[in-house]
Amino acid sequence: MKFEVAQLHGAYMLREMAVSAIRTSKLSKDYGVGRGLFDLDLEVTPQEVFGYLGPNGAGKTTTIRLLMGMIKPSAGAAFVFGLDCIRDYVEVKRKVGYLPGDMPQFGSLRGKEVVAYLGGMRGGVDPNAVRSIAERFDLDLNRRFREYSSGNKRKLGILLAFMHRPDLLILDEPTNGLDPLNQQEFYELLREARDGGATVFLSSHVLSEVEHVCDTVGILRAGKLVRVARLDELRAAGETSLEEIFLSYYSDTDHHQKALPE
Amino acid sequence: MTAARLSLRLGRWGLLGFSILAFAPSLVQAVGFYQIAGHTVASRAAFAQSMSQVASQLSFILAPPAGLDTVGGYVEWRAFGGLAILFAVWALLSGSGATRGDEERGLVEAVLATGLTRSRWLASRVIGFALTTFVAALAGGLGLVAGVAGGHESISLGPVVEICVALAALGLSCYSVTLLIAQLTGARIATAAAGVVLLALFLVDRLSQTFTWLASWRWISPFHYYDLNQPLAPGGSFDGRATLTMLGIAMVGAAVAGVAFELRDVGAPLVRWPSRHRPATYEPSRSPLWRIPVVRGLYERRAGLATWAAGLAAVGVLFVYLTKTVIQPLLSFPTLDQFFGGFGGGQLYASFLGYLWLSIAELLFAAFAIAQVARWAAEDGDGRLELILSTPTPRAGVVVERAITLMFGAALIAVVSGIAVAVAIHYQSMNVSGERLVEGTLLLVPFALVFAAAGSVLAAWNPRAAVGLLGGLAFASYLVDELGPLFRWPTWLQDLSAFKLFGTPLSTGIDRTGLAIMIVIILVGFGASILLMERRDVGA
Repeated sequence: MKFEVAQLHGAYMLREMAVSAIRTSKLSKDYGVGRGLFDLDLEVTPQEVFGYLGPNGAGKTTTIRLLMGMIKPSAGAAFVFGLDCIRDYVEVKRKVGYLPGDMPQFGSLRGKEVVAYLGGMRGGVDPNAVRSIAERFDLDLNRRFREYSSGNKRKLGILLAFMHRPDLLILDEPTNGLDPLNQQEFYELLREARDGGATVFLSSHVLSEVEHVCDTVGILRAGKLVRVARLDELRAAGETSLEEIFLSYYSDTDHHQKALPE
Repeated sequence: MTAARLSLRLGRWGLLGFSILAFAPSLVQAVGFYQIAGHTVASRAAFAQSMSQVASQLSFILAPPAGLDTVGGYVEWRAFGGLAILFAVWALLSGSGATRGDEERGLVEAVLATGLTRSRWLASRVIGFALTTFVAALAGGLGLVAGVAGGHESISLGPVVEICVALAALGLSCYSVTLLIAQLTGARIATAAAGVVLLALFLVDRLSQTFTWLASWRWISPFHYYDLNQPLAPGGSFDGRATLTMLGIAMVGAAVAGVAFELRDVGAPLVRWPSRHRPATYEPSRSPLWRIPVVRGLYERRAGLATWAAGLAAVGVLFVYLTKTVIQPLLSFPTLDQFFGGFGGGQLYASFLGYLWLSIAELLFAAFAIAQVARWAAEDGDGRLELILSTPTPRAGVVVERAITLMFGAALIAVVSGIAVAVAIHYQSMNVSGERLVEGTLLLVPFALVFAAAGSVLAAWNPRAAVGLLGGLAFASYLVDELGPLFRWPTWLQDLSAFKLFGTPLSTGIDRTGLAIMIVIILVGFGASILLMERRDVGA
């Protein structure tokens, strides 16, 4: 079928169908004094769970905020399903579910009001999906936001990211503050989303988590992507564990000075 | 010692800002005295006579003056009278921030985790504020000394220090009252509750000048003890007992607050009301209001809007009664009746009500706009804007929705307070044009939008500095309108003031040129903020 369409409409259509979920080209955000993100070339294929690894300040959140069009790149470009993250930012948001690193404050609003508020802005939210996710995490939406514990705030953030069944989930350290039981529930939710056709891009510090749920990992160091690898290929090749690979980029004390591997 | 240093550090921006705010008006009023009152005995006597008439109109804000023919008496009344209100507001914001604000952001827990006792922490905050408020008060005194020097005269430093001590004592007593109230209430309403108490204490003192039945309650108000100090006016004196009473209020308030702090849980009020049990739900709110742009913003702010509307309505009604109470006795004197005949084209009640009510309403609508801008800036800082923009909402749409929500919110407050004022006017049988009252009240909406537009630009440009800059802009705008005519500043400069653009709609009708300029400012301001918002990094 795809081939027939491609024959009819030429190579352009073929390229559109094979479009990456996320693609960046020389994406850079320079905050000065060596801080920021530099020349990021990244490709995440549809239905892939991509783990984005790096220590604090490596540029993970900067990448995510560039993809979400919150900040403008100093150079380069980023695309989500072929849409320019800056020029087509409204269209990009229709396809994306986003969990920020820190949940904002909604004060005295109840959880159900936060969901209705942001769901109303987004449109197309299925109340059944909301109920299903809230029940899985045992998140009482009748309570005020300020009464939520940090874990419950995180659960609400997860609900907001998943509630419209997006094509792409961009999640910044999603399990931060979740207890182990809810972490397992989240991993299950993630698998279901991927099986349902969604692509996932998540940043994390937790190597075991990335090993557990991701298909591919990218390791970021001082604003530069130093390694991208499929986990199954690493395992098949008998490479050392993800932890050892990760630490190999940070093992020396002056890693900021260390030349990047060629 | 470390805690005291931390307290001083936390208050450094307040110290800087309020020192400037104290220095500027005392300098300006002192310089203005020489420019307007002149240097001869006769010209100063004439100036004092005209100012005493103004003082009678301002008796609900400023204490009765003394020695208006001297720079000391005039500055004491005009500048230090206003500084009393300013320092009370500072004490309110600083006190509620030190108590509940710091708890909300986890600072108190972090400090107490070091082993510092609660009472020592509270004491360090009180000492920190006492020092900062005294330095800021001295800045006010310095402004007076500089202004007097500019007039080629000199003033004894003793009385200047004395009025500064009294001002600092007033600020400190208001701070302790706020500390105490904030222990008793929830974090969300601490500022409002303490604000209501301080406002009540202020009104008890000021309104007792007009309503004699309130005089027997004056003793509870620290503002009363501040008024007893008139060291700058000739014949006046520093009232040591009154100042000690203010300091006593401060000490007792702080001590009781300390006890309450020991008794309550960190993050919780001392007095807890039983909360209604709500069954758990996993459903989103079914209210359709959350889905409608603008309506969702108004619905979310419904409690705040209701408070603003009720507050302004109450103030409006109060000023109608004040106008009647002040004007009616004056009209019983045939000579004054003749004098007032030429005032405001013969519409005496409209002129006075416009002066009393609409000038206060202008300030409150400016404050409303600034409060909304503060919310926009906070949305940017705490990541809420980022989450909103993670939905398919254009950035321009966010700005437009904010503007329209604010417009409807301001309109709601204006309509409610306008109706309350109209009803009070009707019952007081005052001769005020209904049409002009409607026009004047509705004009408050574009007036608020002017500040909102400026704030929108500032919030899009630099959210962290937006509130401070907009507050400064509003203050400068107010000063230009107040002082421009006195100092004969250029017309173009006076026309830059939003307060000047508002005009005097109750007595002279709407200034259409002013309204047109306001509309242009609103359109340009929000247009510019859309452009800035489209280009900026959110959350940066």
